[in-house]
Formats: sequence, structure tokens, C-alpha cells
Amino acid sequence: MPKSNLAPQHTLSAPTFFASFIQTLTDIFVDKGVLLMLIIAPIIYGFFYPWPYSTEVVNHVPVGIIDNDNSNLSRTIIRYASASPQLDTQRFINEHAAKEAMWSNDIAGYMIIPTGLERQVLSGKAANVIVLGNGGYFILNKNVQLGFLQAVSTVSAGIEVKKSVAQGAYAPTAAKNTQAVPLKIMPLYNQTEGYGAYVVPAVSILILQQTLLMATAMLIGTWYEQRRHATSIRGWLGRIMALSLLSFIMGCFYYGWAFELHHYARGENMLGSLLFLALFCPTVATLGCVLGLWFRQRERSLQILIFSSLPIFFVSGYPWPADQLPDILQAVRWLFPTTPAINTSVQLNQMGASVSQVASGFYVLVALWLFYFILLLLFRWRTQPQSSSQNKTAG
Amino acid sequence: MRLIKAFVRSAAYERRFLAKSPWDLAMVVWIPLATVILIWWIFSRTQITDLPIGVIDQDHSPLANTLVRYLEASPDITVKQLYHSPAAAKDAILQRDIYAIVIIPPDFSRNILSGKPSPLVLQVNAQYGTHSGIIQKSVQSVVGTLSAGVEIQRLVKQGMAPSQAAIAYSPIGIQRVSLFNAATNYQQFLASTVIPALLHILAMVIGATTIGRELRDKNLGHWYRFIARSRPDLTVENGDNCDNHTPNNNMPNNKTPNNPLKNQLHATQHVSILVVLSGLAGKYFWSTLAYSLWSALAIWLTIQQQAIASASIIATYFGLVILMMLSFWLGAIFTLGSFSLRTGLSATGFISAPSYAFAGVTFPYIAISDSAKHWSDILPLTHYLKLHIAQLQMQAPVAISLPIIYGLTLATLIAMLLTALLSKRALAHPERWGAR
Repeated sequence: MPKSNLAPQHTLSAPTFFASFIQTLTDIFVDKGVLLMLIIAPIIYGFFYPWPYSTEVVNHVPVGIIDNDNSNLSRTIIRYASASPQLDTQRFINEHAAKEAMWSNDIAGYMIIPTGLERQVLSGKAANVIVLGNGGYFILNKNVQLGFLQAVSTVSAGIEVKKSVAQGAYAPTAAKNTQAVPLKIMPLYNQTEGYGAYVVPAVSILILQQTLLMATAMLIGTWYEQRRHATSIRGWLGRIMALSLLSFIMGCFYYGWAFELHHYARGENMLGSLLFLALFCPTVATLGCVLGLWFRQRERSLQILIFSSLPIFFVSGYPWPADQLPDILQAVRWLFPTTPAINTSVQLNQMGASVSQVASGFYVLVALWLFYFILLLLFRWRTQPQSSSQNKTAG
Repeated sequence: MRLIKAFVRSAAYERRFLAKSPWDLAMVVWIPLATVILIWWIFSRTQITDLPIGVIDQDHSPLANTLVRYLEASPDITVKQLYHSPAAAKDAILQRDIYAIVIIPPDFSRNILSGKPSPLVLQVNAQYGTHSGIIQKSVQSVVGTLSAGVEIQRLVKQGMAPSQAAIAYSPIGIQRVSLFNAATNYQQFLASTVIPALLHILAMVIGATTIGRELRDKNLGHWYRFIARSRPDLTVENGDNCDNHTPNNNMPNNKTPNNPLKNQLHATQHVSILVVLSGLAGKYFWSTLAYSLWSALAIWLTIQQQAIASASIIATYFGLVILMMLSFWLGAIFTLGSFSLRTGLSATGFISAPSYAFAGVTFPYIAISDSAKHWSDILPLTHYLKLHIAQLQMQAPVAISLPIIYGLTLATLIAMLLTALLSKRALAHPERWGAR
């Protein structure tokens, strides 16, 4: 092992790569706070975050029906709506009652069947039912609209078929004609279209990043307080390597176990995913070192980083299309590792893209790592001299 | 009188600290301000438009061209490219150049016109849930339009009047209405609900930090003596000490050994719960003031584009300010309960950071798994957001949301009392101060 030229200045900060690596691991396992952030938190979140989404698909949305027609036709429509797995229907006597139920979140929408519906349909006049969904909740609204649409369309198509048959058409042909251009929707990758399967694989990368950043900055901040932060470049690389290794293992926990437990699409390109983690973890750890030297205090990283998760997620381009962001944010968002990482991870692990198909994501991660490392060198240069001159080492 | 003094002294103590610590001041002023504006700005293009999709046209008929034209005309999506092979299209999906592909089968036009089924296929990247949902809705509606056109044309050809043909095609029409937020405005839906969630997180962090740093720096006794003292001549002593309370005091060879002795002396003195209570109120006075301002900003942004009854606005604002205060006390409780700022912050993060996911806005409350509902129910954010959406988006009568306001107020009072009791306990155990 080559000896560092800076060795005499800081005896305890482990100047060689390997010694620094071991020292960092030791410190992590001795420090309850860092251990909690780096290892325990990602494990807990692996169960905790998917928890609300375990039903995955929204079914049995409570809805109201106001039947002002009281005819055979309206009863048929109600029967179809009640049979829909998407809806849980209940009757209301008037719109006011339905609206009150909506305000207190008892129902997510309602349908009004107007007076004279059957009469109008039988006499071949235009007739409408009205479906009112709650635009305040997007997913619920979609379910309400879709559930009622299907129920009413089925009844409507039945009437059309009956009429065509009455006009002398052959029944099977008439049935086919109800939708002139049928559409077949094939969901790719997340084939059940589950909400957890959509959001958790992406958020997991965010969790990995945030916990690793907090743990790293907490560790470096603590060392700064103890004047143990200074080390050689090799020393820094050893620290980054130790932190990355543990984070890499947590990444494997998500890819190999947490996703499997929840039956999310996964492991489509396992080798590529591991390669991604091998690049992502050091990039984040390096940024964590920079933040640690910037914050210079043990608890500061928690304070500053806890709230940042949601904004960082929204600019990553995953839940919200990146080209809808204001132009400045479209540039600024590339400062965070999650911006290339979430998409790259999902493309490799959930969609099964090849490494060459996500090459740009890999390049950005490498560029970010270099950028953070240069920043780290700058901070190292700024924070090193004063502390090492005193050479007051803490045990 | 004594209580007012404790409040004022505590506020002065805190003001002096904030003036000297730019990071802590930022948590109260700059970071929440920037966060509110940032989130509003992220969703400033309030609708998602022009999601790129691809088309494989194996038919090349006029009908297929019409379909592509309709797809292009749809505001939500844009046909980025025509692909000739499924492999090329798949490659584009994997590279995220496009999020879906519409496949027009061979002989599409001929089959349709002769009444044979010839389904269009939409392959959509369902891993990207938001994108996928919007694309599905748009393509469905385009195909529905095309379908109706084809069907009505056929009926007209059979000799039916066009108006009659439209009715015959669909005997029962559906008038779809989105009550509230009819334009599916994401700024209203996401930004307006995410901002309170973020302020809640920040407020809990402040709650943990404001009292937690006194614990960490072993200054809790100083603080209490400073607010409770009856004679002003101690000012000099306290002032001197305050200047040195950086965390470095905890280094083993520092002068901290003095403190426990002094603290022990102090611990035997009587600690008044009322003085602690009003001292705490003073200590959190600046953050309360600032977060009342950020709450006002958040509500003001939300009510910009709509006419909302002033009673609803006042109720929501009151609810948000109460949520902020509750967050302060909750953060303080976790810290005082564990005697450690670091543990308090970890607990704060664990509870507040994912609370938006449990709040039932993006993923509906009714679909949340039963066990997770219990967790969702004890999160204050869930209740506030219910109030927020009912009042600011659904224009519900204020009376409907009053129980939430009462509940949050009651929780705040209990939390404040608990914070005071825990502070008293912490004052009695100086040997546990300084835990990291």
C-alpha cells in the first residue's frame, strides 16, 4: 500500500485507501445515528412506504345514484352500476343529499338519472344521464367516470342491439357493431397498473439517495466537530467506498427482496441494475461528503435534507413530465443524482432496457460523480489546513 | 406578570440565537419561502400536454390517416414519430422517447367499413403511471370519436337522418361533469396540497431543533434560568455563556465539565410548569410568526384562480396555522421524549416525510389498505388536507370542516402541555443532556 504524503498531519484520519475504508466502516457501526440512517431506515422504508398502496388498484369507490325516473330502464342502469367492481353504489333522494355526502367524503361522485329518460329513449329522442365526479381527487374521479360510463354504455348498447334486431339485423352482427372501432389497451411493464408498482420503485431510489446523503453528511459532520474530517484523497476515496458498499447492499435489498415481496415488476435487467447501483451509490456518497463538509455539524444534514425529498422527486421527471417544468428547473434538476437515477433504474429493473439504451443516464451519473468529487476537493482544501495544524486528535 | 416576562425573555433569547445562526434562520425564513414558491413554480404549467407517442400504421388508408390526425390534434398527446417495425417502436419506449405506441392493423379500413372487427392496439408504458393514464384517456376519446363517426356514417348511408343516426348510435348519452377542478389543474391538485405537506415537515424539524439544540448544547438550564429569573443582574453571566454554545462544547476536553455541576445545583430548584409553558411559547414565537406568514402565502396562491367564500378561506388558514403549531410541538415532543436532537429529527423525518403518501390525495384514502388507514388517521396532515380540499376545492360549507379544526386545536393544546411536561422532566435530568 502506498503511503500518503500528507500522513504526518493527521494520524487518526486513516490516510490509506484501505485503512480509511475500514475506519469508516468501524465508525458507522459504532455510531447509532448513522447506522439508523444508512441501514435501518432503508429497511423500514422498504415495508413502510408501500404499506398504503398494498391494495394497488382502486376498486369499490363509493358513489351515489339519484333516480328521478323510476322506470325499468333506470333500474336496469342502477343494477349494472351496482354490479360494477369499480363502484359501490348507494341511493340518494336528491342532489343536495348527494352533495353533502360528497363534502363529507362519504361518496366520490354520483349519477343523476333524469325524469323521463325511459320515455325519451323509447321514442327515439336524445337522452342523457349526468355523471358528476369529484375533480379534487384525480384517481377517484377517473374511477367514478369510468365505472358509470361502462355501466351506462352496456345498457345503451343493449338498447341499440335490440333495436337493430327489431329492424331485422342478425343478432351477433348487431352486437359487434356497437363499437365500430374497438380499442385494445395493452399496459406494458406494470401490467396490473398498480399504484404502488408505479410509484415505489422510483421512490425507493429517492429513499436510497436521501438516507445515504443524511448518513454520510451526519458522519462527516460529526468528524468535523471532532476535527477528524481531514484526510488524503485516497482517504476520501476509502470513505466513499465504505459508504457506497453499504448503500449498494441496501439497493440489492430493494431490487432483490422488497420489490419481490410486493410483486412489482423487477429484475428485468439485473446485471444492468447492479451496474447502475455501483455507479449511483458512490455518486450519492460523494455528494454526502460534500454536504458534510458544508454543514460541519452532526444534526444539520437531517434538518436540511428531510424536507427536500418531495421537491427532488417532482423534478426528477418521473411523476411529472420533465418537459412541463419551467425552463430553469429543467436545467437545475440535473444537479441531483435522482434525476438520471430514477429513470435509469426503472428502465433497467422494471422495463428491462439494455445498458446501451440507458447510456445517457450512466454518462450523467459519471459526470455528476466527477463534479461532486471536484467540489469535495475544493471543500477539502478549504477545511483542511486550520484543523490539521492544531493536530488535536480526539479518541 | 412573571409569565409575560418569561415569554418576552424567551422570545428575546431566541431572537438573539437566530440572528447569530444563519442556518437556523434559513429554516425559519428562507427555506420555507423558497419551498412554497418552488412547488408552485414546478406546476406552473398546470396541465400535462403533448406527451410523446408513436404510431405503427400497417394500413395506410384514409381512415388510418384520419386517426393519426385526430391523435395529433389531441392536446394531451403528440405523435412524435411513425415507426415501421415493432422493434424500433419498442426501442423508443425503452429509451423513453415515447410513452406509448398505437398500432393500426393491416386492412384496418377495409375491415371496419365492411363491419368486421379490427381492433386498434394501444401499447402504453404503464410503469409511468401519470403519463400512461393521460395517454389512455386521450387515445380512448380519439378512438371513440372516430368510432362514432364511422357508425353514424354507416347509419346515414342506410338512409337514416344524421341527427337520428347519432341517437341510434348511442341511445343513452352520458354527460360527464367534474365538479370542482374541472380543468384537471395540477397546480390546484398537487401543488396546493404538497405545499402544506412540506411546511408541515419543515415545522416539525423546527419544533425538534428549537428545543433540541438546548438539550444538545446542554443549555436547557441556562434557558430556564434566563426566562425564570427574577433579578436582572444575571444577564451578564448568561450572555457570556450563550456566545460559546457551539456543539464543539461537547468535545471531551472542553469546558463542559463545569456545566453538570451548575445544572445539578439548578435541578434542585423548583421548576414552574406555567413558566415553562409561556417560555416555550416565547421560544417558538418567531417560527409561529414566520409560518403564519408562509401559510398565508400558500393559501393566497391556492385561491388565486377561483372565487371562494371568505369563511372557507379563513377556516382553511386557521387550520393550516394550527397544523404548523401542532407540528412544532410534535417535533419538540419527539426530541424531549428521547433526550436527543438527532433522535427527535429522525423520528420527525420518519413521520412527516412520507405523510403525504398516506394522506389520501394522490392515492385515495378509501383504497389505502385497512391497517395503513390507522396510521393515516393519526397523521395530522391527513385531516388538514381533508379540510383543505373540502373548503378550497369542493366549496363545502364551513360547518362540515369544523370538527377537523376542533380536533387539530385540541391536539395542539394537548401537545403543548405535553411539551411543557417533557421540558420539566428534561430540566430535572441534566445528566442526560448533551446526547447526540
